[in-house]
Amino acid sequence: MSPTMSQINDPKVAFAYLRPACVLLTKEPTVANVETLGEQLKEIHDASLQQLQEYVLFPLRFVLKVPQLKKEKLVQAVAEALSYVLEKTCVQSWDTLHDLFSELCLCLCSPTDPGKPADLSEELKSALLRCLDALLHAAYGDIVFKLYEPIMLPGLGAAVSLLLALGEKEKSREVQAAALRCLQSLILHCDCTQEHVIPSSDERCSVGSTMASFLPGIAMAVSRIITGNLRQGHAVTVRAIKVWCGSVGLVMEDAQLQSSKACETPSQELGRIGQLVVQRAPEWVKSTAGKLSVLLKKIISCTSAHRHWRVRLEMVELADHLLVACSQSLRECVGLLLEALVGAVNDEEPKVRERCEAALREISQRSQSCSRSSDGTSQILADVLSENLHSLATSLPRLMRTSNDQKKLFVLKVFLGYFKVLGPLVSVVLNSAAHLERISKALMQVLELDVVDVRIVEERSHGESLERSSGSVGSYAAHIPQKHFLYFTDEKIFSVLMEICRTLGFYGNIYLLTDHFLDLYRQSLVYRKQAAMVLNEMVRGAAGLAMATGAQCLDSGVQGPSASQEDLKVAAVSIMEEYTSLTNWNLITTCEETDGDRQDQQLLSPSRLLSISISDTTAIATNSLQLIPSSSAPPPPSMTTSTVHQLNSNIWQLCIQLEGLACLAQALGRDFRPLLMTSLYPVLEKAGEETLLVNQAALNSMMCISQACGYSSLKELINDNSDYLLNDISLNLQRLSQHPQAPRVLTVMLAHSDSSLLPLIRDVVQDVLMALDLSYNHSAALFCSVLHALMKALARWFPVSRCRTGGSARSKTSTDDFNCRQFLLDYQKQKDLAEGVGIEVDDTEDLEVPPASEGEDAEDICGPDEKSELPSHLIITKEVAERCVHLLSDPRLQLRLKVLEVLELCVYVLSERENELLPMAHRCWPVLRQRLTADDPLAVLRAFRVLCTLGEACGDFLRRRVSKEVLPRLTSSLTRQAPVSAKAGPVYTHTLAYKLQLAVLQGLGSLCQRLDLGEADLDAVCEACLPYLSCRQPVRLQEACLSVFQHLIQVDPDTFWFTLNELHCPCSYTPPHPDLPPIQLSGMGRPRDEYSDNVLKLLREEFGLCDGSVC
Amino acid sequence: MSLPAPHPIYTLRGAGGALNTLHFRCHGEDPHLLFSGSGKGSIHIWNLNSRRAEKVVEAHSGSSVTWVSTLQSTDTLISQGRDMQVCLWDLNEGRSELLESVWTGSVGFCQCSLLETSPTNYLLAFAAQQTEEIKIIELPSKNPVCTLTPKAKVGMVMCIKLWKTNSGLGPLLLAGYEDGSLLLWDVTQRAKLSQVRAHPEPVMCLTFDPRRLRGISGSSEKKLSSWTLDSQNNIQLQDDVTLVNPGVSQLCIREDGRILASAGWDDRVRIFSWKTLRPLAVLQYHTDMVLSVAFSDHQDPRQRLLAAGSKDQRISLWSIYNDGAGKG
Repeated sequence: MSPTMSQINDPKVAFAYLRPACVLLTKEPTVANVETLGEQLKEIHDASLQQLQEYVLFPLRFVLKVPQLKKEKLVQAVAEALSYVLEKTCVQSWDTLHDLFSELCLCLCSPTDPGKPADLSEELKSALLRCLDALLHAAYGDIVFKLYEPIMLPGLGAAVSLLLALGEKEKSREVQAAALRCLQSLILHCDCTQEHVIPSSDERCSVGSTMASFLPGIAMAVSRIITGNLRQGHAVTVRAIKVWCGSVGLVMEDAQLQSSKACETPSQELGRIGQLVVQRAPEWVKSTAGKLSVLLKKIISCTSAHRHWRVRLEMVELADHLLVACSQSLRECVGLLLEALVGAVNDEEPKVRERCEAALREISQRSQSCSRSSDGTSQILADVLSENLHSLATSLPRLMRTSNDQKKLFVLKVFLGYFKVLGPLVSVVLNSAAHLERISKALMQVLELDVVDVRIVEERSHGESLERSSGSVGSYAAHIPQKHFLYFTDEKIFSVLMEICRTLGFYGNIYLLTDHFLDLYRQSLVYRKQAAMVLNEMVRGAAGLAMATGAQCLDSGVQGPSASQEDLKVAAVSIMEEYTSLTNWNLITTCEETDGDRQDQQLLSPSRLLSISISDTTAIATNSLQLIPSSSAPPPPSMTTSTVHQLNSNIWQLCIQLEGLACLAQALGRDFRPLLMTSLYPVLEKAGEETLLVNQAALNSMMCISQACGYSSLKELINDNSDYLLNDISLNLQRLSQHPQAPRVLTVMLAHSDSSLLPLIRDVVQDVLMALDLSYNHSAALFCSVLHALMKALARWFPVSRCRTGGSARSKTSTDDFNCRQFLLDYQKQKDLAEGVGIEVDDTEDLEVPPASEGEDAEDICGPDEKSELPSHLIITKEVAERCVHLLSDPRLQLRLKVLEVLELCVYVLSERENELLPMAHRCWPVLRQRLTADDPLAVLRAFRVLCTLGEACGDFLRRRVSKEVLPRLTSSLTRQAPVSAKAGPVYTHTLAYKLQLAVLQGLGSLCQRLDLGEADLDAVCEACLPYLSCRQPVRLQEACLSVFQHLIQVDPDTFWFTLNELHCPCSYTPPHPDLPPIQLSGMGRPRDEYSDNVLKLLREEFGLCDGSVC
Repeated sequence: MSLPAPHPIYTLRGAGGALNTLHFRCHGEDPHLLFSGSGKGSIHIWNLNSRRAEKVVEAHSGSSVTWVSTLQSTDTLISQGRDMQVCLWDLNEGRSELLESVWTGSVGFCQCSLLETSPTNYLLAFAAQQTEEIKIIELPSKNPVCTLTPKAKVGMVMCIKLWKTNSGLGPLLLAGYEDGSLLLWDVTQRAKLSQVRAHPEPVMCLTFDPRRLRGISGSSEKKLSSWTLDSQNNIQLQDDVTLVNPGVSQLCIREDGRILASAGWDDRVRIFSWKTLRPLAVLQYHTDMVLSVAFSDHQDPRQRLLAAGSKDQRISLWSIYNDGAGKG
């Protein structure tokens, strides 16, 4: 059904069509009749309906007029029909308008009190309100303004108060909204899509005058609605704001008030009604504005942090509208309104933001155009803003202490908004010392850090983190814990604060700001961290980093930061110098007195030991390094009472300063490269720090710097600037007492770079070694960590290709294709050789194959050359190994342990050149033997690892020494401990004895194989290890023991096959020929015992178990 | 001597050879440069702002570079090498092209001396093929000006210094010889003006302050010997300075005439007051003989640096006695 298609277009036909229904309705006013008429009306075309309007309205109005007929259903049906007619037609006659208006109002109000709504159903109320709204829209332009003539005041007043009461008290949201919409129409502030009468200025003025009488009532009631129930839904609140805005905007309009008509005295004819008329004289305006500002303040505080964005948007509209229309009359509200606008500049909702920005832009343009024409309106605006800013800055600390997070966030957003709106004027405002002082102090107080967390002081970084980071540089992102602030917890608040700082930097004078905040930084320890934080962000802001485009600012013409790159550089240099000055950089972050103890504990802790014995690369890199307080840095005021708080505070300060360096780099980009000369060293110094937080912050900072300077990785950053770093390192090594961190920097450097650094390193290593030689007593520990880092780096850069796999290969071939005949032949030959038969023949053969003269020549030619051309990493290694030999007998256990680690690495690196390795092994043997045989178990453990590595590298060179001097002790200790460990409980695995056993067992196998030990030694080893095959031993010892046998089997499969079978033989062997005697093994037929499991395992894995027919 | 020992503000490494000679060029707007000549024959041009070698000129085909200097007027570098050549290089716009080369024929270690007589002309004095002979030529025309050979037997020429007097006389030349003698030559007259035996050992180095008409020379012994020129251009021996360790490779007076630096064989640079010859400081950094010292010619006296080049292949830069440098 489409009404338009079949609508009646001829008035006559329409009349004929409608007439019966109208007549019937007049006679019998029933719901059904009204609905019939209503249905029929829909079939009439609008134009015809217009002609028949009076006719149609009559029966409907008749129903309303007859009091006894007022049944709710009926009235509702009538109201709906009326609405339809009014929506489709125009009301041209004043009488109709007036009568209908009063009739509808009468229906709505209670019969006893015309100002109160009647107790009607919600549907009826909304039908009536819709009807009223339609009536107001339908009224023709020339008659609608009659409604606002003074004579109408009482009626209008009744209607207004009725609508307000409905809007405020009504429970149904729809009715509330409908009432408010009616009010909107009434105050000519309707926002619907229909066409509206556009009043002339005179007409508007008269409407304004009339509405002035109701303004107090409207304003009060509506502000109650706005600030009232939070749960009333945003639609009602939005409407209410519109009404408030519309009515205030209408009555207080500057344009009206400036014209003379506003305060025309009412004509005498009105009589008593004349008293109701308000004269909008200046005094009245002033007092009204004062009252309004109170209401406005309430409204703004309630809506600006409203949860629904539409409400905030409406708030912006209100502020904008009033600022446009009433900025003169509502002078005292301008500040409030601006504040509301400014606060919304940072709204989360983009629509609100956009609207707000547009409004602000308009305001600034208007004020600018005013300032060009007349003097200083823009100045006034700026003044208002800066005044607001000042007072806000004053109250900010208090607000931050007292209010909740949401409120804080809002306040800070307003704060930020002011800067944004002021834009380039910020620098003007900041030229006022009072402003700068207030703002900076406010920031200092707000940003105060909470420094009670003890963990921050306790957490330590280990060398591994350093290594790890160097391994995967690209993906590495250190975890930086949150800063904890005294006055807020919300992360959003922090980010707003940081944006404030950036905005300051963006618009402000960078020199002034840098100077001021550096002053604060120097002034007091209390402000130091905050000032640094502000400076960091400020510089970023000044470079235009992380800044929203300056669309909001008053002067939209200026884009980009105020500071030039050159200014920025100067500022950055001064900030950097301050941060990295000795007093501000060499802060104490650890408690000295506990340091040593802790390290001992750490060394002795089981987990660390375990890790040492498991993998050869894990090592304590930095944590055994003694922190020597810089003597040149003036000690902090209360060194002795340096509390956890102070340490914590120091740590945070360092972190912030490290972040700061990263910020400077980001701000300057590639221009930061020259500054790396002085800044990279301090950062690396902190990257070697053992306090976890500082360490991580430094690593992060390094990442940032390398990115900002256009390096692809940390490695590139360090390699490219290694000359700067090494320069400082080498200089500082010479004055170690003032700069104890120099070795640490080298450590970090080595960890992050590659072999291309070697030529430069070699230079510095000389310095290191010389410095070490000069101060064996004081800083040997420190240097050891450097040497360790150095050797680790060398081992990484020059991985040794292990080509000594001959041993196992040989044994492989012999087991694979076993040939009895060949075996016997070989055996015969070997035996002959052993007895001296045929030696001469072999010798001559050997001599003949390589002609002696050629060999000599080769030696002559390249021998000496080769010696001088030894690769520099080997030269360095040799030098280091030399130091190790000296330091191995140091009385300090920790140092010895460290040195053993270094030595192990030396051996590894040198293993590439046997010619260098063997003399070194020879030189260090006596001290190493001491460590192996007569030292603390910890040292024995570590020394054994070195021995294993040595064995791996030099093979049989050490055979005799080991078998004579070391092996007996090891085997005897193993034998001695075996019964102990077999009986021990689970706690035993935490003892040192256990670890020693484990380490020896783990290393012994490969050692035996590498050293190519003789049979007697192997037997001894085997004997010592056999008890450990028992299933009563701790599992890991069994596993280790299995590995020993695996190695032993590779050396001499037959012997150990026999040995194992002696212990336990699972199957019987039948000789291949009946002539041979039957095979008798003592392990045969034995019941399962504690050894069977492991023996079977070995036999199965190494020999394929009972491959019965061996021969 | 209550102040702590100073430390170099920076060290330049990577020269790859002993540093025989250093020369600053810090006037003008360009990045301030330091030229160094190494024993391996390369001339490094160090940018003092970035503290890195901006360019390396392989100048004398691997033989040791004994002397480098630049011309005030143009971007020309002059270098002398043990390949018996003095070469002129064009450094304009980042180039390093060989302009000229002069064969000296000297096998000794004597460094050349340069005197700019006009923006386009300059005199170059160098030891010639005969061991006692000094040649002076005019550049860029390469016209020989004179050859100075002492009549007495004084041994090989060890060091020379050419300068121009204020008294209207032509350029004068001071030369130190193997037997420890100092000779003053008048270049225009080609005549010896004065002779004195300053050292028992060969004169290793000398420097001269034309404003005070006072000079100082060093030898392989423990003494520095200072002398003045009187109005008759006679060399008058003055005070001796006794060093702790023997041997000085180079002496250099700062432009403001306040301090004198010596490059010692004992790995140290010593600073003396030029007025009183009182020892002021010992700069200890190098680990091998210091071969050369130079003061920068920076316009701002406070930024004037001292550079020392050593056999340990490093150059150390020092900022010393710069605070009250008001006299210029």
